[in-house]
Amino acid sequence: MNPVASGLFQIAPYILAFVVGVLVPRRQGAPERVAIGIVAALALLLVRSLWPSETAAVADPNAHEWKYLLSVIVFLPILGAIFVLFLPRQSPVILKRVTFLILGLDGLVSLDLLSSPMTRGWHFQHIVEWVPAFGIRYHVAVDGVSMWLILLSTLTTPIAAYVSFGSLKTRIKDLCFAFLLLHGAMMGAFISLDLFLFFVFWELLLIPMIVMIGVWGGVEKVKAAYKFFIYTMVGSMLMLAAILFMVWNYSKLAGYPSFDYLALQRVVLPRTAAWLCFGGFFLAFAIKVPMFPFHTWLPDAHVQAPTGGSIILAAVLLKLGAYGYIRFCMGLLGGVAWTAAATLAGVAIGGGIVYGALVAWKQDDVKRLVAYSSVAHMGFVMLGLFAGTQAAMEGAVLQMLNHGVSTGALFLLVGVIYDRRHTRLVREFGGIAKVMPIYAALFVIVTMSSIGVPGTNGFVGEFMIVMGTFVSQTLGGQARLQAGLASAGVILAAVYMLSVVQRVFFGPLSNPKNKHLRDLNVRETIAVAPLIALIFVIGLFPNLFLSRMGDGVSAVLERYQDSRKSYQEQGDSDTARLSERRGGALELGYPEAPQKKTDTQPAQAQALNAEAP
Amino acid sequence: MQAILALFPARDYTLLSLIVLLPLLGAAVNGVFGKRLGKEAVSLLALSVIFISFVLSVLTFFALGHAQQGETAARFYWKGWEWFHLTQQNGNSTTLNVAFSVDALSGTMALIVTGVGFLIHLYSVSYMAEDPGFHRFLTYLNLFIFSMLVLILGDSLPVLFVGWEGVGLCSYLLIGFWFETESNAAAGKKAFVTNRIGDFGLLVAMGLLLYYTGALDWSGIEGGAKNLLTPVQVWPLGTHVPAASLLPAGAEHWVNMPRYVSAATLVGLALFLGCAGKSAQLPLYVWLPDAMAGPTPVSALIHAATMVTAGVYLLCRLSFVMVLSPAAMAVVAFTGALTALFAASIAFAQHDIKKVLAYSTVSQLGYMFLGVGVGAFTAGFFHVITHAFFKACMFLGAGSVIHAMHARIHDTDASQDMRNMGGLRKYMPITFWTFAASWAAIVGFPLSSGFFSKDEILFKAYSSFVNSPVPGNTLTDGGISMELFTWPTWLGSALYAMGLLTAVMTAFYMTRLFIGIFFGEFKGWKIVKGFKEAQGHDEADHGHGHAHHDPGVRLEGPTPHESPWQMVLPLAILGALAAFSGFFNANAGPIHITPLDSWLEPVFAKASGAVSLVAESESKEPLFLGLAFAAFAVGSGVAYWVYAIQKGKPAQSLVNAAPGFHSLVFDKWRVDEFYDEYVIGAVDSLAEFFTWADKWIVDFILTRVSSFLIAASGTALRFMQTGRVQTYAAVMVLGLGGVGYFFVTPRVEAETKSNDASGAYSLSAAQGLGYSYRWDLNNDGKWDTEKFSSQTRASLKLAVKENRTVRLEVKNAFGRTATRSFDFARPQPDLSGALSRGSPDQVPLRRMPNLRQLVKQGAAK
Repeated sequence: MNPVASGLFQIAPYILAFVVGVLVPRRQGAPERVAIGIVAALALLLVRSLWPSETAAVADPNAHEWKYLLSVIVFLPILGAIFVLFLPRQSPVILKRVTFLILGLDGLVSLDLLSSPMTRGWHFQHIVEWVPAFGIRYHVAVDGVSMWLILLSTLTTPIAAYVSFGSLKTRIKDLCFAFLLLHGAMMGAFISLDLFLFFVFWELLLIPMIVMIGVWGGVEKVKAAYKFFIYTMVGSMLMLAAILFMVWNYSKLAGYPSFDYLALQRVVLPRTAAWLCFGGFFLAFAIKVPMFPFHTWLPDAHVQAPTGGSIILAAVLLKLGAYGYIRFCMGLLGGVAWTAAATLAGVAIGGGIVYGALVAWKQDDVKRLVAYSSVAHMGFVMLGLFAGTQAAMEGAVLQMLNHGVSTGALFLLVGVIYDRRHTRLVREFGGIAKVMPIYAALFVIVTMSSIGVPGTNGFVGEFMIVMGTFVSQTLGGQARLQAGLASAGVILAAVYMLSVVQRVFFGPLSNPKNKHLRDLNVRETIAVAPLIALIFVIGLFPNLFLSRMGDGVSAVLERYQDSRKSYQEQGDSDTARLSERRGGALELGYPEAPQKKTDTQPAQAQALNAEAP
Repeated sequence: MQAILALFPARDYTLLSLIVLLPLLGAAVNGVFGKRLGKEAVSLLALSVIFISFVLSVLTFFALGHAQQGETAARFYWKGWEWFHLTQQNGNSTTLNVAFSVDALSGTMALIVTGVGFLIHLYSVSYMAEDPGFHRFLTYLNLFIFSMLVLILGDSLPVLFVGWEGVGLCSYLLIGFWFETESNAAAGKKAFVTNRIGDFGLLVAMGLLLYYTGALDWSGIEGGAKNLLTPVQVWPLGTHVPAASLLPAGAEHWVNMPRYVSAATLVGLALFLGCAGKSAQLPLYVWLPDAMAGPTPVSALIHAATMVTAGVYLLCRLSFVMVLSPAAMAVVAFTGALTALFAASIAFAQHDIKKVLAYSTVSQLGYMFLGVGVGAFTAGFFHVITHAFFKACMFLGAGSVIHAMHARIHDTDASQDMRNMGGLRKYMPITFWTFAASWAAIVGFPLSSGFFSKDEILFKAYSSFVNSPVPGNTLTDGGISMELFTWPTWLGSALYAMGLLTAVMTAFYMTRLFIGIFFGEFKGWKIVKGFKEAQGHDEADHGHGHAHHDPGVRLEGPTPHESPWQMVLPLAILGALAAFSGFFNANAGPIHITPLDSWLEPVFAKASGAVSLVAESESKEPLFLGLAFAAFAVGSGVAYWVYAIQKGKPAQSLVNAAPGFHSLVFDKWRVDEFYDEYVIGAVDSLAEFFTWADKWIVDFILTRVSSFLIAASGTALRFMQTGRVQTYAAVMVLGLGGVGYFFVTPRVEAETKSNDASGAYSLSAAQGLGYSYRWDLNNDGKWDTEKFSSQTRASLKLAVKENRTVRLEVKNAFGRTATRSFDFARPQPDLSGALSRGSPDQVPLRRMPNLRQLVKQGAAK
């Protein structure tokens, strides 16, 4: 075949997707048609680049990973935030375009993560000494778990920013700064393998978030921002104490300090100390997730936050808690996590899945309802993590993406009616499917995803978690009972989501204020389109996501088992010790003991290359 | 057929993908572009995709027939892609493919779905022609056919579940199709949520199947099904019942006694919960009558012919699992019989023709479960087929009647009330004759389709029972042994009696309906030849609708008309099928034509091996035939006497005699009210309480109480910040005094190192300002050297099992001393531990307290 023809043949599917996308909108102008077409073509590109191909198999998968990629992804928005400070406040259009450009560019760059098959071990690893005296390094890397969370944030933040630029009119410069800084900090937290670095990013992202709630929020914005800040801060401080305690132990045992994740993984603490450290970490993450009973900041924060803030909060920020549990609670203190799992699973089911759903049912404010539904969904995620089987963990990580996609879309759609009516109270609406048919259709699709109807993304995640819980050995004899109770959550999810759909969209159009509501406009349609596309892509082809996730998850689980074993061997001993070096891909980049001053350079090189399986 | 098989091999039968995906294509195009395509294009697309799907199903059916020879079941399989896989802790991985397969059972079902589906699509094009949501309606219908095909053809439980929830979703959307009316939307929600309760059961069943058989696809489940014969402890949930110790000893023992059931029973019951939700069985039947709020073609397609029979299909599909548990089968059979009886009793008092049909559907579904429950899978499935024909025909006939009534009566309820009908036989002859055919089928008129299928179920209800799956009827596993449930001998007779009573009742209320619609005088309005309807009736819908209740004023209207051909043709075809489809499996007395039985035999081969017939029941068959005929004759005869000859007077006097009882039956035994009050009410008040608690307990403690504590401690500390220099100076002096005391007091600290194997122990004392030390290493009560020295380290050697206390005294620069003692013990080497070191689980560390060094810290003297 001649090259022009084969080239045409290759781009034909994209053109087709583009044409279909162009044809989809009704009664709307050319810009929207083109934009939806582009979204359709991009969605196809995403699926095609995820699709396993024979050519992808190369001898050394890590060889062509560009080690600065992660730094670029994180620091592009942070530097962009600083750059935005030098732009004129009077020209919001320029500010918005620059911000969107940076976020979009960041999203495109992050797609390069998909070039790696995400085999076992760390990828795109990059290590630079930062504060050698305290063993602090700039150590960033991703595995199959964190990669997806990065892609989730690079997808949702531009959407959130795009939506916010439509509805917020004041203090655009500050908004742009906040978005960029928040974006950079969130991703920084996902890639840090140095606990000091992680803590810096973890705290850094708090600031733009409270600014976002406190400046562009609703009536009680300051109160909600305070509540959010203090809750998170309490957790963070205890986590900091736990980090420092572990670092102190490591430096005592190994003879040199290190904040590195790989180093601290080897610390085996006496039981009491381990439980206290676990408590410190777990509290921070449980607040962030949030888990019962630390969830009450979430509804307040969501209700007061502007739409863009809610999207980021739900889609990405809550995931930090679950991610932190995987990485730090299971990774560093797996023995305790294992022992506590059955109890915590009970909390996740009773306090999350059931309680969250029942409380959600009784809410009048749609945003509050979605916030409590987040508590229920994150209960599923946490249950998957506690169950500790490969299937349940994969389901939990997938469910994190699902929750980001579908709850992000829900908040976006709720923002749409809020922009039109400036209220979110359910009783103000009713029958609006008649005047906003497209909006209603999309809302119902997202609802179906949220309650886990098969064929959408929500089902795959929930199903894997429930099935994984059924076969879990971590939870012991209670596993099947707990899995059964968790599956009852699917009933409650249908109850509360369908109640709100019925009360908002169906029935007679009684409120005269709703008679002339406009259907979705260009901006809103384009913003929600990729999320709707993802709902079905994940629902029908979850394997595209799971295949790059499996190795990362199995590595976490292997570490979890090891950790449990050393916890058991530790017994009642009250001295801390270091476990054996495990070597292999998972300890690549281990912080070796500092050599004498004279040969620092070779030592570092050795540290990076020392690991041979 | 050879050509098809050559083109599409059994392992890669790509045609299946076309059968399934064509309706989806129709739904997608109509859904997105429907409004711009126009009615003709939308209906052309919607009809053609279903018709092609039907043709392909027919081809597949015959290809299956060609491939299926003798005893072995033929199965065509097509795999789309790998959906996801479930990896367990032991490394076993269960792969779930998006895969479809078709065998005799699903092939037959697919024929019904696409065939009846096509007829109903055709009917809808005319029935819904005036509706503004026309394209939306056909989109949903296409989507429904797609989901139903996924349900039937899915090769594993999760794929079936996609269709299972998909049809639920379509049902939700179609019941609430006219969503402007509050009650329609509420009925849709009710259907979805009730179905979800069933889906919960299905989810649990999947989990248990995965746990015990390690697979979720049909062949995998079949392969691992024998693992289901394992006793499972279901009580107590933990190790013991909490608070049981408060009971008297005997009661405590009884409460704490472990109870076992077999895993097969758990799976069977969970599956049946799912089926009860989808197929409207007790106690989850309540959504189906409300679902009649949807357009009538929907009631015919979804709520009579196809979706509601999905539960029966699933139990047939997993028949080899069900027969492993006689207990679960008994529950299925009994619930089916009870539902049949219960729903029939409600149908007695209803006036809304769609409600009567709805309850009769519930009742007939009960029959199907009765058949499946006693192990007569073919009989149950045969009733699915005949019921699909006659009930779809009846619903479409009812739709045709309602369509005619809408000429003058626009209120939904009034246009469906049989008290407004009567005498329509004259005006709608084709509708009448097709309705008559399906009436004959449902009441069991001899040689009609329902006669054969119902008779078969009733006979099997009496004669067959499920054998114990294990010899000796006892399951043993790891020291646990349990008796399995066996079918009591009276159960067959009881089930038969309930079934026969239901047959009498069915004949009665269906005849009542038939007479009410088609015989007697027309009561809707006064027929005026050449009547022209006044303009602007839309605004006055309700006025017209309710006018008939006013005895003084009679509506006037045109002659009721027969429906257009698109509606009449499906009626005719379905009517013919309702009359004659009995001969697919006619087995009564001298007639013995059973192609369906032999066609399905390979599919049910495994299950039918577990079912036996009661001795000498074959010889009693003529008696049962006679009883079945008698049921028909008595039921319809009495109804004819009451409603046709006496014009309903006896019924009216009965109602007057017991008005309370009548209203109880008319209100459907007030089951909905019971659920509202107790089930939904309980959940609702729990939710209310949680919402209250969330605000006033959880949030209150975490924010209000904590902020109060912080504020209070701040207030307390504020008292100390008086601003008076004298106070600060006094505090400073106290503080300095404390620091000084700290420095003046010596402290004894030592780090110990031990080696139990060699018996060498050492101590290393902590250093301090001007410290000097003296030791007592040999534990003789005297200091080794009377003088203090700078020796900070000491070591000692112990024999095996020797204990020693070492003392250390420290003197600091101020001459103050402090003493402390350290205990050492060398343990006996633990050989048992050394031997079994290979398996750490065998070495509980708590059993060896002397492995670790015993350092008892004495208080400083």
